[in-house]
Amino acid sequence: MTLNHYLVLSAALFAIGVFGALTRRNVIGVLMSVELMFNAANINLAAFNRFLHPEGLAGQAVVLFVITVAAAEVVVGLALILAIYRDVQTIHAEDFNLMKG
Amino acid sequence: MTAFIFYVFAATVLVSALCVVLLRNVLHSALFLGLALAGVAGIFASLSADFLFAAQILIYVGGIAVLILFVVLLAARSSELRARQVNQQWLAGAVVCGLILYGLCRYLGRFGRPAAAGPAHPTTLGLGRLLLGDQAIPFELVSLILMAALAGAVLFSKPEKSE
Repeated sequence: MTLNHYLVLSAALFAIGVFGALTRRNVIGVLMSVELMFNAANINLAAFNRFLHPEGLAGQAVVLFVITVAAAEVVVGLALILAIYRDVQTIHAEDFNLMKG
Repeated sequence: MTAFIFYVFAATVLVSALCVVLLRNVLHSALFLGLALAGVAGIFASLSADFLFAAQILIYVGGIAVLILFVVLLAARSSELRARQVNQQWLAGAVVCGLILYGLCRYLGRFGRPAAAGPAHPTTLGLGRLLLGDQAIPFELVSLILMAALAGAVLFSKPEKSE
């Protein structure tokens, strides 16, 4: 397996994530697509670490930080979604228009 | 053998990611998200990143996917299960994604030379040394972020006081 295989896989996963984040109506679906994009970046970091700098582990350390920050982001995002859902009784993004002028 | 394992995991990741994005039922999307994250854990294992494999399973599959599943069960209504799940800009979105994929793949050619992947070593000891040595300050700052996220989640999910 070469580095290129992993990079192509990561690019495809990232594109799928971008498509989901752009087109899902459901806010939870958007959040899931963002998670897919995080994972694409993580695959890239681990693959570069393995193939270009096998003597160090800095890439894998960055992946650990990304995973931790993503967990924090998901927790706050889901709490926000639940709070908004209690208020407007929907989770479709186009209905969140309270601040529309 | 390595190639076979890689292709199995890559196919798992890509197919379940497509299911996450395209399926109508949000509950199925959340379940496929767990499968996609587990596939990414397999990719980490094939990159000989053993600690990342464990962390991915523990945090992503065991934590984040289950949390998203809970919120789907709390906030979804049965009438929405058959509603349209993509907005009206899906064609423009697909074009943008195709352009991004094309641009990325064009520049991936410069990594085409077969990079020598040396023998794999266990990474847990090295990662621990790195996190508590060179990167001790980011490591501590991340705990601050987790604390803030905890406080923020409690604050946002608290029911509002009636005035």
